[in-house]
Amino acid sequence: MFKNAIHLVKRFTSSLSFKISFYAGLVMFLALLIFSYKTILSQESDSIKKTIKEAIKDSGIIKVAISNDMMTKEGERIREIVNAIGTSGEFNRINIYDRNGVLHYSTKQIAASKPADFSHDSLLHDLKSNPSVRQEISKDGSTVTVVNPILNSGNCSSASCHAHPESEKILGAVEMKIGLRNLRQEINKNSNRTIVFATALFLAISTMSGAAVLLFVNPSIKDLQEKASKMAKGEYVPSTPAPGKDEMAELTRAFDYMSLQINQRTRQLDASQRMYKALFDEAPCYLVVIDKNFRISRANGTFQAQFGDKTGQHCFVGYKGKSSCCNNCPVEKTFEDGDAHQSEEIWHINGQESHVIVKTSPIFDESGQLTEVLEMAVDVTLLKKLQFRIEQQRHEFQYLFENVPCYLTVVDHDFNIIRHNNFFVRDFGIAEGKKCFQVYKGLEEKCENCPVEKTFQNKEMNYSEEIWRRNGEDTYIIVHTAPVTDENGAITAVMEMSTNITEIKRLQGQLSILGETIAGMSHSIKNILSGLQGGVYVIDSGLTRGRDDRVKAGWDMVKHNVEKISDLVKGILYASKEREPDYKNYELGQLVTEVCDLFESRARDESVQLIRDFEHKIAPCLIDPVGLHSALSNLVSNAIYACRTAETEATHCVIVHARVYGEKIIIKVSDNGVGMSQEISENLFTKFYSTKGSKGTGLGLVITRKVITEHGGVISVESREGEGSTFTIELPFKRIIDVHKTEKANSLNFSYD
Amino acid sequence: MARKILVIDDEPDMVTFLSTLLEDNGYEILTAVDGDEGLHKVKTERPDLVSLDLLMPNKTGIKMFRELRKDPDISNIPVVMVTGFATDDAPNMDFKKWINERSIRPPEAYIEKPVDTVNLLNEIKRILG
Repeated sequence: MFKNAIHLVKRFTSSLSFKISFYAGLVMFLALLIFSYKTILSQESDSIKKTIKEAIKDSGIIKVAISNDMMTKEGERIREIVNAIGTSGEFNRINIYDRNGVLHYSTKQIAASKPADFSHDSLLHDLKSNPSVRQEISKDGSTVTVVNPILNSGNCSSASCHAHPESEKILGAVEMKIGLRNLRQEINKNSNRTIVFATALFLAISTMSGAAVLLFVNPSIKDLQEKASKMAKGEYVPSTPAPGKDEMAELTRAFDYMSLQINQRTRQLDASQRMYKALFDEAPCYLVVIDKNFRISRANGTFQAQFGDKTGQHCFVGYKGKSSCCNNCPVEKTFEDGDAHQSEEIWHINGQESHVIVKTSPIFDESGQLTEVLEMAVDVTLLKKLQFRIEQQRHEFQYLFENVPCYLTVVDHDFNIIRHNNFFVRDFGIAEGKKCFQVYKGLEEKCENCPVEKTFQNKEMNYSEEIWRRNGEDTYIIVHTAPVTDENGAITAVMEMSTNITEIKRLQGQLSILGETIAGMSHSIKNILSGLQGGVYVIDSGLTRGRDDRVKAGWDMVKHNVEKISDLVKGILYASKEREPDYKNYELGQLVTEVCDLFESRARDESVQLIRDFEHKIAPCLIDPVGLHSALSNLVSNAIYACRTAETEATHCVIVHARVYGEKIIIKVSDNGVGMSQEISENLFTKFYSTKGSKGTGLGLVITRKVITEHGGVISVESREGEGSTFTIELPFKRIIDVHKTEKANSLNFSYD
Repeated sequence: MARKILVIDDEPDMVTFLSTLLEDNGYEILTAVDGDEGLHKVKTERPDLVSLDLLMPNKTGIKMFRELRKDPDISNIPVVMVTGFATDDAPNMDFKKWINERSIRPPEAYIEKPVDTVNLLNEIKRILG
């Protein structure tokens, strides 16, 4: 009950209406008090001044009144005057002293015969000398004393009564003591009235203003209070605008507007909060908030779906399966420096090793303190695998690029090589930055029909066949070019793939030679078959008609052609077989002589002069006499044939030259016969080629070259159509140690004309 | 009176064979071993038909044929070309040239080695009428 009362009082005293009314009243009250006090003070001082003035006036009157009486020494009269004045006013006492301080007259006291002691009296101590009227208020303020000295006027010094000497200026003094009590009582009465009035005013104003506040302010405040509490709960919806024109109504309207704004903001805030919550929960990565003790304080839906609720656990235990903090922990770093950090980690998710990229960022509280760290983890295992595979493939392609057996170069717009492969380096060395035409062909300017240039223009693959001269040999190259483009499809460079096709070209040549060989051989066989057919017919005819001469002629034809086919087959076998020369010690001069002897009679028959330009004994050496004999025979036979078929009337001759020059054996067979066109002489040793119609097999020079090559030598020909030909054989000179071991070659019984 | 045929071939076997074959079939035979001799005999003996080998020394068959066709005295004498070249090869090498040179009439017949005797005799019969 008591408590309730106190509570009510407290509530009341703390209410706005109480405070307003109390302080308004109090201000009025104090103002009135101060004003009254000031007024009373000045009233008091005025009254005292007035009293003193009157006292001085009265003392003057007394002085005048008593001056005659003094002189006449009518003491009684003076006493009466003093008493009359003394009882009329507020005077407490009136004393009249002579100049020696002897009290002569007093309203209360009996006159004294002895002078009073004024040594301590502030007004009367200089009674004899001070001629001025003076006053003093007693220390307790209850009385005021006025001293008015009685001066020696003319009468006094001259009158006969009791004449005062002229030297005595001051004869005595009238002292008046006036009581101030009544005055003060009046003033007190006034001030009491003022206090009562002020209190009444205070109460009136307090009540009035309290009532005003209660009536006009409180309801609005209550209303606002209710609205605010509703708003706080989010229930307040302002409906109609508040009526009224005073400040409270304005305030209410402002409040309504504010609450509308707040509602709207709150809704927006709610929506964005929901959105962020959804983002946080459904983000396709693990989002974990970790506190300073490395404990999980929150985690998003993705994390919880994978690892379950791990709130409160240490992060390294919760999802990394460790017993202590990780090395290089980005969370720790973020706690240390307040910056974002990143690391790549390997986690075990579903029992599988997973590559995870972890990023951390600081979370600050309202006071700017770093309290937590947000850890974002993205599983990049698939990406890693892909990256690994790409890397692997890159390596494979790199390997292919480097080791593919052709020259690969990448060239820019200015034909500078910007990359090349190992195969290229093997043959050309490091050439990055050099011009491709310089490196490949030793040219100073770009090649004609450059496929690289074409590819830069048409953005397509191009190719060209080229011949490079390297180390004195022709190399056949097929060059393919392909564009190298950037992401936008613009050509940045061109890849040039150069394949050495010399071997293929050689095989191609051999294949075509084989074709021609077969055609040539078919032709020979056809000729022989014709001969055989003819022989058979002639024998038939002879037998039918009984003509032995025909039978004999036919039989000769058959024998002759069988021989021819036998030679052909032997020749083919010789040409097609890989064999080592059958080296023997032999005298070179003897071998050449034997060949010349063999053709001596035929040359004579054909009217061709066979000139021997060599010594009978040249040098004993290691040669295959059988092979070399047939090779040389072919050349001499061909030379004689060339002379025979020449259409000029000149004397034809064949010169056989043989000598040892240093480490080489040189054998030359020259003629001034028909000669050959360039085309024929170029293909002479490779193609099975015959100009002798049915008489030639086309095998002769092929076999000759084979023999020379097997000896490690070379054969070449110089020829001009209509002027003749010179065949030159160069053989390495292989000396024998014992000259006496030189053997005679067996006579060679087949030729290849 | 038997018709006169000139057999020109550098291969003696071929000459013997063709002479025997044509003699047996009632023709009178003349022979030559190269183009020069052949052309000479054409002019002197005036054969009714010439059998000519394509590839020969001392004027190849083609050369001799051209001269024969260019000489107005003898250009109308029919020629049977005998050769070891296959028919598909020969046109590439020579017939094209003949066609290009319009003044030259191609040979009346073309016989491949080995000679098909029946074919040869039929062709000669056809040419000589």
